[in-house]
Amino acid sequence: MKTRMIILVLVIGAMFAPFAQGRTKLVALPERDATIIRLDNPNATLIEEERVLTLQKGLNKVDFSWKAVSIDADSIRLTVLDHPDKVKLLNVSYPPGEPALVWEIASDGDYAETVRISYLLRNIDRLVTYKAIADKEETQVNLKSYLVLRNFSGEDFEKARVLLDYGEPKDELGIDHEETKRMLFLKSPEVPITKIWTWDAAKLPWDPEELEHRNIGVPVSYRIVNEDKSGLGEFAMAGGKARLFQDDGSGSTIFLGEDNTALIPVGQKTELYVGDSRDIVVTQRKMKDDKIPVHKNNKDQVVLYKTNEVITAKIENFKDKPATLTMIQHIGGQWEMKECTLDGKKVKYNRKDASTLEFEIELEARSDDGPAERNLKMHYNRLNVRP
Amino acid sequence: MKRIILLITLMLSVSAAAKIDLVTLPERDITQMTIYNSADLTLIRDGRSLTLAEGDNRLQFSWAGTLIDPTSLSMLPKAHADKIDVAELTYPARVKNAGIWNIDSEIDGSVPMEITYLTSGLSWRAFYMGTLTEDEKAMRLQGYVRVSNNSGEDYENAQTRLIVGQVHILDQIAELARREQPYGRPGVRPQTQTMTVSNRMVRKRAVMEEAEMVVTRMSAAAPKEIKKEGLSEYFLYTIEGTETIPNTWSKRLPSFEAAEIPVVNLYKHTGPGNRRVYRYLSFKNDDEHKLGETPIPGGNLKVYRTIDDDSHLSYTGTSNFKYIPVGEDVELNLGAVSDVIVEPKMMDYKSDNYRFDRKGNISGWDEIRTVQLTVKNTRDIDVKIELKRNLNTQYWNIKNSGVAKKAYEQVDMDTVKYTLTLEPETEKVVEYVLTTYHGTRTEGRSKSS
Repeated sequence: MKTRMIILVLVIGAMFAPFAQGRTKLVALPERDATIIRLDNPNATLIEEERVLTLQKGLNKVDFSWKAVSIDADSIRLTVLDHPDKVKLLNVSYPPGEPALVWEIASDGDYAETVRISYLLRNIDRLVTYKAIADKEETQVNLKSYLVLRNFSGEDFEKARVLLDYGEPKDELGIDHEETKRMLFLKSPEVPITKIWTWDAAKLPWDPEELEHRNIGVPVSYRIVNEDKSGLGEFAMAGGKARLFQDDGSGSTIFLGEDNTALIPVGQKTELYVGDSRDIVVTQRKMKDDKIPVHKNNKDQVVLYKTNEVITAKIENFKDKPATLTMIQHIGGQWEMKECTLDGKKVKYNRKDASTLEFEIELEARSDDGPAERNLKMHYNRLNVRP
Repeated sequence: MKRIILLITLMLSVSAAAKIDLVTLPERDITQMTIYNSADLTLIRDGRSLTLAEGDNRLQFSWAGTLIDPTSLSMLPKAHADKIDVAELTYPARVKNAGIWNIDSEIDGSVPMEITYLTSGLSWRAFYMGTLTEDEKAMRLQGYVRVSNNSGEDYENAQTRLIVGQVHILDQIAELARREQPYGRPGVRPQTQTMTVSNRMVRKRAVMEEAEMVVTRMSAAAPKEIKKEGLSEYFLYTIEGTETIPNTWSKRLPSFEAAEIPVVNLYKHTGPGNRRVYRYLSFKNDDEHKLGETPIPGGNLKVYRTIDDDSHLSYTGTSNFKYIPVGEDVELNLGAVSDVIVEPKMMDYKSDNYRFDRKGNISGWDEIRTVQLTVKNTRDIDVKIELKRNLNTQYWNIKNSGVAKKAYEQVDMDTVKYTLTLEPETEKVVEYVLTTYHGTRTEGRSKSS
């Protein structure tokens, strides 16, 4: 059985209806016609429905009520579609203690008038989820996006068009109260991806040897760009949960991991954290931390000093494939790099902000002799340190 | 028990009134389980031949009593992909653990379809048995996997695959499986179902503990092979053929065996605070050590030693170890021992180089300690020992003499290490003079790398 909580009643001859003695509800219940569930705003869902009102010349009263349905009463609008010049909405009144309102409509003739009623309905919304299957080489993904429509509004919609802020309008569909529907709405079979390994000195332990029974996983992400090249780039992609799989090359897939993506505007990228690599191992150590007095006060106490610090990091790749590791280092305060080398040769870094350095470190695949190894050394002074 | 049921309702769209419901229960053709061990998560691939009618088909899939994540359900045609449109999946109102697929088909007849989903309740773990030779120079390593099914569903003749790796997930599959509504309700944080499922799980676990038994392979003439391959950051183990693991049962399968892995008997002593010496078995996951084909998944290792020609065993110890990539050194901690002894002694202490401030108070000084570490190997085999010392300050200098010279290594700004090898029933003495700097004596000074 359908749940009908929103009721529209046309009260004929309302001019004569005695208001004080209770509202007399008579006459036809106009059926819902074209209904639109508009989900372009993630915070509220706008319903637009068309109904035909049989209006008589003079004043008409139309009663719109909703029971057990959360409608924002102030959001309800009535638009006259057929004779906007001849049919006028005069006023809206709210009966006491009832989720309802009464429109007073003046018509200068007898019309079967199509009106559009719109309102914000709560507890009906949508989620967007993604499913991506990477190829075995991890160069691209087959991306599918699903729209999940959740209707817990109290109202059944027998036939409605569901509209998003983008994409093709869906065919009409029905969704009952307490029903959830998942629909495929976006397919892009060849989206290029970049695989990224990130080691952040502030987030991960420095010395794996200290952790006897635990591996340090280096987070692995896939980078996807919302652009033409990806078969995307037409509209901003909604945020949601993304599940990633990989083709195993033998007709099956494995599950790689899942992450939430934020809204991805056109031209922007998202990075989906899939899992951790235990085949890239970073061992970072502080080899030096000297205090060098710069100034002493009259009492012979140091009031200003600088430091002389050395940090080394050994990066080992145990994978049988090369990888590019993004290494993030942090140096607080006022600092000056004296020497920064990778395997003894000067190396460049990106200064992301005052205290964050980013290195791109190319790692070869492991060989028969063991892991591919690289050694980073940062020698810096911190200046104007006050005790 | 079969709890997953697939019903096909053919909805002939000839006329809205003439709704003909034809129900068939297609059997599973192929089942594949890909079981993870870093999370309670298994990817199931379920192949069935469905008889579709041209037009709209409605397929009901229900999974009451299982631990399936309904949001993970997915269906794909394995043939005629361009003629079959899996349009939508509806989770009907007020019906739990069921979904209805709407399939628009241009095909009239049997079509192989594949349903995939994630479930909780299946798991696997690796464990190992090591057998040392009498001289403890080599070890036979046997790896096993144990697969357990507490998913609520019997998986018969399923291809079984195991994933080694750390997968990132946002929600526990078991939580998703227990939700009242698959995707939750708008504006409400998803709530899990009442206790019924978890109670059932607890009961199941109790039953499982009683009935738990390891099914060894007896029927096959040879143990099954396990195919191993790397995929992304994971390792995939595919067990030859298929397995039947009924709900609440588990199964042990051999994963690999390596004979005669050369091992080093390594001992470690970490300093004055801890007088104990710990024993490690050290080897490398590489060719030279008869390994190195694949990473070794973390697990528990029980080590035994062959004590006579009759292959009698003595239990040496146990160690949990982490995932070991190909090419990495392995050090397995077998616990504290008393047959390798380290005796630290301070042989001399003095202070020197006093500095005074303008008021005449002490502002800086040096402390000089002469330290002797006597290491005794009372065993009848060669041992390697590491003596690690944390100096508690970065302002120091060390003078090594004798064996200490060659054995010395600086680990970081305040840690040093001595590594020695001792022949059976011998002892060695490491001697060094440590100078530490204090107060103003630290200024502009530290042990540089």
